[in-house]
Parts: sequence; structure tokens; C-alpha cells
Amino acid sequence: MTPEPLISLRGLTKRFGGFQALHGIDLDVEAGSVVVLIGPSGSGKSTLIRCINGLVRPDSGSLRVAGRPVDLGDEGAWQRLRTEIGMVFQDYALFPHLTVLRNMTLTPMRRLGLSRAEAEAQARALLARVGLAHKAEDHPSALSGGQQQRVAIVRALAMRPKAILFDEPTSALDPETIADVLDVMRGLARDGTTMVVVTHEMGFAREVADRVVFMAEGAIVEEGPPAALFGEPRHARTKSFLSSLRPEALHA
Amino acid sequence: MDLLVKNLPFILQGLGMTLALSLTTLLFVTVLSGLLGVLATLRFRSLRVLVRVWVELFRDIPLIVNIFLVFFVAPLAGLDLTPFWAVTVGLSLWGSANGAEIVRSGLNAVPRHQWQSAAALGLKTWEVYGFITGPQALRAILPPFVGLLTLLIQATSLGALVGVGEFFKVGQIIVERTTMMEGWNPAFLVYGAVLVTYFVICSGLSWFGRWLERRLGRPQARPVPAAAASPAPAPQLP
Repeated sequence: MTPEPLISLRGLTKRFGGFQALHGIDLDVEAGSVVVLIGPSGSGKSTLIRCINGLVRPDSGSLRVAGRPVDLGDEGAWQRLRTEIGMVFQDYALFPHLTVLRNMTLTPMRRLGLSRAEAEAQARALLARVGLAHKAEDHPSALSGGQQQRVAIVRALAMRPKAILFDEPTSALDPETIADVLDVMRGLARDGTTMVVVTHEMGFAREVADRVVFMAEGAIVEEGPPAALFGEPRHARTKSFLSSLRPEALHA
Repeated sequence: MDLLVKNLPFILQGLGMTLALSLTTLLFVTVLSGLLGVLATLRFRSLRVLVRVWVELFRDIPLIVNIFLVFFVAPLAGLDLTPFWAVTVGLSLWGSANGAEIVRSGLNAVPRHQWQSAAALGLKTWEVYGFITGPQALRAILPPFVGLLTLLIQATSLGALVGVGEFFKVGQIIVERTTMMEGWNPAFLVYGAVLVTYFVICSGLSWFGRWLERRLGRPQARPVPAAAASPAPAPQLP
């Protein structure tokens, strides 16, 4: 018997006014795996990833995390879930009025019950891991985009999450800093962190993903291991999307 | 000068009344504005509509009408308010309507991703307001809010119209009494002193506001987002 997936979605739908953003999504994310969502803009990737931690409330369907069902209508349940599932955004979204260290200690102190000393020690260790220990006392505005994004990743790690959702983490970055952020994410994948990643970095998807999911018009068109999905896409829609990408994007 | 010295206890009494009126009003307005402003940004539509009605209702009534309304209508509803409390309530209703709007627009000027990333970390709604969006909104809220408080201090002089013995009323009485009893009109001297006193109180508050603004501004080197750079304009006395 295969173990139950860490995250399991069944029949998830979301409508914004007259626009059906998600049509009955089924998706499983195994513990320790990296699932990459790709697809054209407006295909529902970001909406889907936000439905996993309730930043967007699904209209119907079911969500199970670590074997427990999540009550989709209960904000308290979502708040508890968010302490277990981290998220990294496109625009880093560090808190500009707090130092890097305080950005990383605020929630662990309030949610995990760490003392200030414990939270700061943890934060400094995590910052050292991404080469930013010397920036602990700075405010985010003193950091480059790539550095801010690395802080955002370790800020999510500081909550010791079961999984981390990445919503286009490199889309807002300069080309030269993208590599640093992808390196950090590769490291996480090697360490067995469960990750769901929305990205346009096809090279990263090919290299790191255990499974690639292609979405279009609010539905999953096809999914599979990267070699199969990139090498022999079955669906015409997937083929046309992949052929619209620059060749180097696929093999980077 | 002799006149002012002779009336000093009376003047101090009026000044005390003005300060009491101001402090009570400022306290009510600050608490109510914060509360209503936050309610106006929550996702519950009914609460937002309720705040909207409050804001439009009391903001669009001239301040003096607001005070008269409370003073003359409250007794009909069985509420026997002293002139002091009638003025306090009238000013607070008007002030909170304007203040709520300042707080709401300040909170809304904080980029949405700040709220999202705070929520995504598992912070509760009140923690997001208390630790993340509130402190960031404060810089946009403070200047127009201090402006509003200054207006309210000036507006306490309207208390004279319903018989509160505040500073301006005391000045009026001294002018009338001196004109009638001693046969000369000290209006220039008395109202000059009244003017200087209001100026000192209000400019003191403005100075305090600017000092607070500088203190808040210092650690946050990142420029205020474009939306927050144009906060709600300070309301005008109707």
C-alpha cells in the first residue's frame, strides 16, 4: 500500500465572479517530492497554489493535508494549516518595517512558541545557510531582490513547514540573481523538502521536479515525470505550449 | 494686562475646560477611528457597509449641526447630556467619521502582498493588523490624523454655542462684562490672547505629530509605496 500523499486535492473548484478559474482539480503531492506547475498565464496555477493554503478559498472540493481533511469554510482551520505549509511569493513580500532577523523570528515566536533566543539562533543558522548571515540586522530595503527572495525562503523554513509553496519565485528577479535562488531551491529539494512550485523556469522543472503538471484554462491537462512530459507530451495543448517556449528555456 | 491677571482664575478654568474637552474628544476619536477604520478593511461586507453609512452620515453633516443635534435631540431620546458631553459626543461622531476614513485609506495603501505574506505565515488577523499592516500604515495615517485632531481642538470652541464654559466662552464673557461694567472694549486684547493660546496648543500638537512621524520614518529606509504617498487629505471644517 502506498503511503497517503502529504497534500491531496479532489474536485477543487474556484470561480471569480463569472470566471471559472479552476475546474475540479485533482492533485496529489507526496511527502518529500517536488511538483512543478507549468502553463500559460491565466491557466490557474497561482490560484491553485493559493487554494492549498487558503489565501484563495476554494468554492468546492476537498483538501487533505497529512491525512487530515481541511474544513474549507473555517478561517481558523486555514490559519492553523498555514503554519504547516509555507509560501514564497513572486514579490518576496518581506516586511519592510522589520529587520531581516525580526522578519524571521516573529511568526516562530508567536506560532511555534519559541523563545526569542531560540528563534534568533534558528534564524541566524538559516540565514547562514543561504549566505546572508551578515544581513540579519538590516532592513529588507538594504538587500537586492535575489537576497530578499532567499530571506523569504528561509523565513518560510523557519516555521518548520511540512511543505512549501512557491508562486513564481524567480519571475521578479534579475537574470543574474535567479541562479542563486534556484540553487537554494535545489538544496531544499535535495534535503527532501516537499515543494509545490509554479514557475516558468523549465530548466529547473526538468532538473528538480519529480512530477510536472501542465495546466491550461483552469484544468490539469496532463502530468508526469519531467522527461516524459517535456520529451513526449501526449496532449496537443501541452505540445503547443512547449513549442511556444524558447528552446534554451527547456534545456537550461 | 491687568485685566487678564484679574480674571486669571476664570481664564484658567476655561482653559482647563477646553483641555478636558479636547482630551476626551481626542481619546474617543482616536479609539473610534481606529476601530471603524479597521472594520472598514475587513472582508465582511455587512461591517464595511455599516462603517460606510457611519462615515457618510456624520461626515456630511456640518459640525455645528452635529453638536446641536446631539444637544437638542438626545434629551428627546431620554438621554440627558450635559453641554460638556453633548459637545464631546457631537465632535466625536464627526471626528470618528473623518478619522475612520483616514485609517481605512492608510491601511488600504499597504500593498496587498504584505497582508498575504503575513497570513501565509500563519499570523492571525489581529496579529497581521498589529504587527504588519498597522505599523506600516501609521506613516500614511499620522499626518492627516494629526491635522484632524488639530481641527477638533479648534472646534471645541463651538462648545460656547451650547453653553460650555470653555476657553473661548470665557473670553467672550470677559469682553462683554468689561464692556458693560467698565465702559471699554477689550476685544482686541482678549481675543488676541485666545488666538495665541489656541495657536500654542495646536502647533504643539502638530510639532509632536511631525516628531512622531520622523521617529517612525527612520528605521524604514524603503520609500513608502506610491499609493501610500498620497494619503487621505485632512478633512476641512464644514
